[in-house]
Amino acid sequence: MRKYWLLFVCLVVLFCVACNDKSASEKASEYRVVYSGEIKTLNYLKTSETNEFAVAANMVDGLIEYDNYGVVQPGLAKEWSANEDATVWTFKLRDDAKWVTHEGKEYADVVAQDFVDGLHYVLDAKNESSTAWIATVVKNGEAFYNGEMNDFKEVGIKALDEHTVEYTLEAPTPYFLSMLNYVCFFPVNGKFIAEKGEDFGTTRENFLYNGAYILDKFEPQNERVLVKNETYWDKDKVLIDRIRYKYNKEAATVAPELFLRGEIDSASIPTSIIDEWFKDEKKKSQVRQTQNNFYTYFYALNFNPQFDAQYEPDNWKIAVNNKDFRKSLFHALDRVSAMLTVEPYNPADLLSNTITPKNFVDVEGVDYTQLAPLTSISNEDSFNKELALEYKEKAKTALAGKATFPVKVLMPYNAGMPDWANRSQVVEQQMEKLLGTDYVDIIVEAGPSTGFLSEVRRPGKFALLEANWGPDFADPSTYTDPFTVDGTYNKPELAEGYKEANGKTTYQNLVDQAKETIDTAKRYELFAKAEAFLIEEAFVIPYSVGGSGYMASKLNPFEAQYSPFGVTAEKFKGQQVLEKPMSNEEFKKALAEWEEERAEALANAEK
Amino acid sequence: MGMYTDEINNISNKSRETLFEFAEVDARQAEETGYSNYSYWRSTWQSFLKNRLAVFLLVGVIIIVGFTILQPYLPAQKSPTEIYLDEQTGMQARNIAPSAEFWFGTNSIGQDLWSRIWAGTRTSLFIGCVVALVEAVVGITIGTLWGFSRKLEAPITQLYNVVDNIPTTIVLILMSYILRPSISTIIIAMCITGWVEMARFIRNQIVILRDREYNLASKCLGTPDYRIILKNLLPYLISVIMLRMSLAIPFAIGAEVFLTYIGLGLPISEPSLGNLINEGRVLMMSPDLRYQLIFPSIVLSVITIAFYIIGNSFADAADPKNHV
Amino acid sequence: MLQYIGKRLLQSVLTLFIIITIVFSLLRLMPEEGYLGAAADKMSPAQQEIYLTSLGLRDPILVQLGNFYKNLLQGDLGKSVTYRTDVPVVTIIADKITYSLLFGLGAVGLSLLIGVPLGIMMAYRKGRWLDRLGTGYIVFVVAVPAAVYYLVIQMYITELFQLPMLFDEYRPITWILPLTSMALAPTASYAMWMRRYMVDELNKDYIKLARAKGVKERTLMFKHVLRNAFIPMAQYLPATILFTITGSIYIESLYSIPGMGGLLVDAIQRQDNTIVQGLVLVFSSLGIIGLILGDIAMALVDPRIKLGKGGGVR
Repeated sequence: MRKYWLLFVCLVVLFCVACNDKSASEKASEYRVVYSGEIKTLNYLKTSETNEFAVAANMVDGLIEYDNYGVVQPGLAKEWSANEDATVWTFKLRDDAKWVTHEGKEYADVVAQDFVDGLHYVLDAKNESSTAWIATVVKNGEAFYNGEMNDFKEVGIKALDEHTVEYTLEAPTPYFLSMLNYVCFFPVNGKFIAEKGEDFGTTRENFLYNGAYILDKFEPQNERVLVKNETYWDKDKVLIDRIRYKYNKEAATVAPELFLRGEIDSASIPTSIIDEWFKDEKKKSQVRQTQNNFYTYFYALNFNPQFDAQYEPDNWKIAVNNKDFRKSLFHALDRVSAMLTVEPYNPADLLSNTITPKNFVDVEGVDYTQLAPLTSISNEDSFNKELALEYKEKAKTALAGKATFPVKVLMPYNAGMPDWANRSQVVEQQMEKLLGTDYVDIIVEAGPSTGFLSEVRRPGKFALLEANWGPDFADPSTYTDPFTVDGTYNKPELAEGYKEANGKTTYQNLVDQAKETIDTAKRYELFAKAEAFLIEEAFVIPYSVGGSGYMASKLNPFEAQYSPFGVTAEKFKGQQVLEKPMSNEEFKKALAEWEEERAEALANAEK
Repeated sequence: MGMYTDEINNISNKSRETLFEFAEVDARQAEETGYSNYSYWRSTWQSFLKNRLAVFLLVGVIIIVGFTILQPYLPAQKSPTEIYLDEQTGMQARNIAPSAEFWFGTNSIGQDLWSRIWAGTRTSLFIGCVVALVEAVVGITIGTLWGFSRKLEAPITQLYNVVDNIPTTIVLILMSYILRPSISTIIIAMCITGWVEMARFIRNQIVILRDREYNLASKCLGTPDYRIILKNLLPYLISVIMLRMSLAIPFAIGAEVFLTYIGLGLPISEPSLGNLINEGRVLMMSPDLRYQLIFPSIVLSVITIAFYIIGNSFADAADPKNHV
Repeated sequence: MLQYIGKRLLQSVLTLFIIITIVFSLLRLMPEEGYLGAAADKMSPAQQEIYLTSLGLRDPILVQLGNFYKNLLQGDLGKSVTYRTDVPVVTIIADKITYSLLFGLGAVGLSLLIGVPLGIMMAYRKGRWLDRLGTGYIVFVVAVPAAVYYLVIQMYITELFQLPMLFDEYRPITWILPLTSMALAPTASYAMWMRRYMVDELNKDYIKLARAKGVKERTLMFKHVLRNAFIPMAQYLPATILFTITGSIYIESLYSIPGMGGLLVDAIQRQDNTIVQGLVLVFSSLGIIGLILGDIAMALVDPRIKLGKGGGVR
C-alpha cells in the first residue's frame, strides 16, 4: 500500500506545480510555427534539402542576396565584376562581417579565404557533399572531386587578398551570380571546421554564424529557436527577434487548430478542410493562397518501358512512338480537374503550359515563356476534347494491326502521398471516360513510399508518370536536364524517328546548340525552341508549377527576398510578423501589385 | 410350499409366454445405452443462446458480414472508387453532405462514402479473417509440435524467444517498411507476430495435458500420436482457440488502422477502414465534414465490440465446465 | 535464483544476437535511395557510388555485420546517416529515452493506481452498476480506434479548459493530458484482468469455506483473494511498461513529445538504418529485461513459485 501512497503524493505534487504554472512571454516580435519534417544536419556544405538549408540560410550569408523583387543585391560581397566571356568573376568583400559563436561571441572576421575553404570542403569527395555537382562549374572542380587532381590550388578559386575572391569557371557562365546563392558557395571558417571535423553542424555549438540569426536551441524532434544576431552587419533589416519551430509529427492535423487558438503564427491548410475555412466567416479572413514556386510538374511518357510483362511494355512502346497517340493523350488530360485535388478554388492559377515556369527568366522584360517559339504553347490550354478525339482516330488507324487496343498505360504513384493518389484516380477516370476504355486502359498502381524514385522512375517502371524538377540556377538550361541523354526521366532520346545526321536526337541538338550560345537573347530563344519542340512532339505533358495550396500566416510573402533558386526564399530577413493574417483578397491584390512592381524593378535592373 | 404353488405356477406359466423372451441384438440400441443425449456442440450452442446480448451481436455480425459481401450486387449501389461529377459544373462532386443521392456523403474528390465504407469493411474483414485463420493454423500446428515433440522443443523455443522479444509494433512496422504496401504485406506482417501467442498457449496446455492419466492410458493402448492430439487434446482447447480467433479479427483491423496512421498502410486508392479513418482525422475540427470520420469509426467500433463480446461469451459457452 | 537469472541473461544475449543479425540483414535489402535523400536526382551515378562506398555499403554484408558487432562491443552503435548526419546513435537515443521512460512509467503508474482498484471494485460489486460502467469503459477503449479518441481528447479538452495543445517540458500543466490519454488503454486492461482474476479466485472452494467459517468479507477480499489474483498480474506488469513505451507513438506525435516512438517512425521513414538497428536493440533488450523482471516479480509475490526448476517457457 505504501507504494500507492508514494505515487499518489508524486501526482499531487505534480498537479500543484502545474497549477502554479505561469506563462511568461515578453512582447518581442516572435514568429512560431510547427513543422513535421526534421532537419538532419546544420552542415550547409553537405545538405541539399530545402528544409535544411532553410535553417542555414538564416544563419550564414553568401556573397550576394536578392531584394523582394528578385534583383541581385550585395551580400557579403560589396561589388563584383566579370570578364568578357563570363569565365572569371571577381568579388570584393565587405569588411564588417564577423563570425560569431552560438553565444554571440566574436570568433573571427569573414575573409576571402573562407570562401576558398568552403568550396574545398564541398569538392572533397570524402565529405559527401550532396551539392558538389553544382560546384563543378568551377574550373577543375570535377577533376578534383573525382580525385584526378590532388592539388586544390589548381581549382578555379583564389583569395587574391583578405577581401577579394576570384572564381575561374570551366565554361562561360553568364548566370554564375545566381549559383552563388547555393549553399555550396557559402563561406566557412577553415580553422573552425578543421577543429570540429565530422562534428561540424551536428549541434548548435559546433557551428559558426555570420548571418541574421543565431540558433538558440536545437533539440531535434522537439524544438528549435532562432534569435536575432546582434552583431550582424545588416541587423536593421532583421525585424523578427525570435523564431520558434516546434516539432509536431501531426502538424497537418493539428496546425490549423493551433493557428486558430493563436498558439502559432503560420499553418498550411490541407485541401480537405479548405471548404470549411472558406464557409466560416471568422476563418475566411485568415486563409490565403500561397505563392507558386519554381518546381515544375509534368506527365512524362516513357520511351524506355521496363515494367512488368502483364502491363504489356512492348505494346506501350509501339504506341508511344506514334505521335498521334502521344498527342491524343496530350490533349485528353484535363489538368483542371486533376488540379482540383490540391487547389479546388483557383485551379488554373497553378497550371503551367510549359516546362519552364512563368517569371523564371526574361529577355528585356519579355518573359521566357512568351518568347516567339513558346507563345502559342504558353497561351493555350493543352486540354482539348475535339483534338484529343481527332488524334485518337488517327492513332487508331495508324496503329491498327501493330498495337493492340486498349493500350495499357501503367501510371504509378507514391503510396505515401495521398494527394497524388487522389489525383491519379481522377486522371485515370477522366482520360478513360474521354478517350474510351476501348482505346486506353490506364492502370493506377501504388508504388513504395520509401525509395519511390529509385524503384519506379529511374528504372523506367512506368508508362505515364507525374514527375517534377526544380531549377538550380538562373538559366533555362536547368530545365532541360531531365530530358537530355543523362536524364533519368522518360528517356526521350530513345524515341524513334528523331535521329539526326550526327547520331544525336533533334532535341539534344537543339539543346546543345543553345548551351553553346552566350548572347542571352539568342540563347534563350534557342532554349525556347528546344522546349517548344519537346512539348509539340508530346514527349511530355506540362502540368503545373509547385505551390503548397492554402495557408494561414502572419507573414507578408511579398516582403521576403525573392529568387527561384538557392536559399533566398527561406530567409526571414526583411519580413515582419503582421497583427493579423492576410486574407485571400488582400493576397491577390498584393500579388498583382507586386508583379507590376517586379516587372518594373527587373527592367530597371537590366539597364 | 403349498400355499405358493399356485402363484409360482401362475408366474412360470405366464413367463413362458410373455415375461422372458430372447431379444434380438440391436447394434443401434446397444450404442445408445453407452451415451447420454449430451452433445458438446449442442450444449455449447444452448449456453451461448442464454447470453442475449451476444446472440443479438452475433446476428448483427452475420448481417454486417452478409451485407458487406452482398452490397456491391444490391440495386442502386455506387462504385467505391468512381469519382462522381457534379452535373452542373462538370467538376468533381466534392465533400457533399449525406443526402438521398449519396447516403453517407462524398469525400474530398467526390467518391461515394457509403460504398467506400462497405468496400473498406470488406478489405479489413478479409485481412482480419485471413490473419485469424493463419494464426490459428500455424499457431496450433507449431504449438502442438512444440509441446509434443522433444526434438523440436529447443529450436522452436529459440524461434519463439526471437519473435516474442521484439515488440509487436516494431515487427509490424519493420515488415511493412521492407515489403511494399499492399494487402498481402499487411497480412504477412501481422501473421509473423500473430501465431506466437497462440502457439505458446497451445504448447503450455499440451504440456499440462499430455501426461494426464487418460492420455497415458491411451498411449499404452497403442493409440498413435496424431490421434491423441486430434481426439484427446485439441477438443479440450477449442474454447480458447475460438476466443483467440475472434479477438484476432478486431486486433488485425486495429493494426491496419495503426499502420495506415504511420504511413505504412494500404494505398488510399484501395479503400480500407484504416484509410477512411485516417483521411477523416484531418476533418475532426470541421463540423460540416465530420461525417467522413464518424461513419467509418462507428462501423469499426461496432465490428470490434461485436467480435469482442461474441468471442468472450462463446469461450464461456464452449467451456464444458459451464455445461452442467 | 542468481543462477537462474544468469542463465536467463545468457540466453537473452543469444536471442538478441539473432534478432539484431536478422534485422541488420533485412535492412540491407532496402533501396539505397534513402541514403541519398533529395540529392538523389541531382548526383551523377559516379558521385552516388562514391558516396555509398564511403558509407561502407559496398562492403560484403558479412564484413558490414562484423564491423557492426565490433563497434557494438565498444558501446558504439554507429552514426546516424539520414536522420541527423554524423551524430552518434547513442546520443540520439539517450536524448529520447528519458521522455519515453518518464511518460511510460507515469502512464503505467497512473493506470495501476486507477485500473487495479477499479478491477477490484468491479469484481466486488459484480453485476451491479459499477461493474457495468467499468465494462462499458473497457469496451469503449477496446473498440474506438485510439487514433480517433486521442485526437478528440486533445482537441476538445484543451478547448474546454483553455489548455495549450502541445507539450512543453517547462509547463507541467501540459503534461497532464498526454499522460492521462496514454493511461486510458492500460487502465482498461488492468481493470479487466484484475476483475477476471478476482472473479476466478472468488469462485474457488477455499473462499466458500472461509465464508462458511465466518471470515469477514473485507479480510477475505484483501488478505486472500487480492493476493492470489495479483500473482498473474505481477508477471505481465513489466511487459506492459514496455508496451506503453512503444505504444506511445500516437501520443508523441499529437503532443510533440520528443520520445522514442516518434523516433522509430521517423528513422524508418527516413530510412536511417543505423538508428533503426539501434532502436530495435534497445526495444528488444527492454523487452527481454521486462520478461525476466516479470518472472522475478512473480516469484517474489508468490512464495510457491520456485525459479530455476523446470525452466522452459513461461
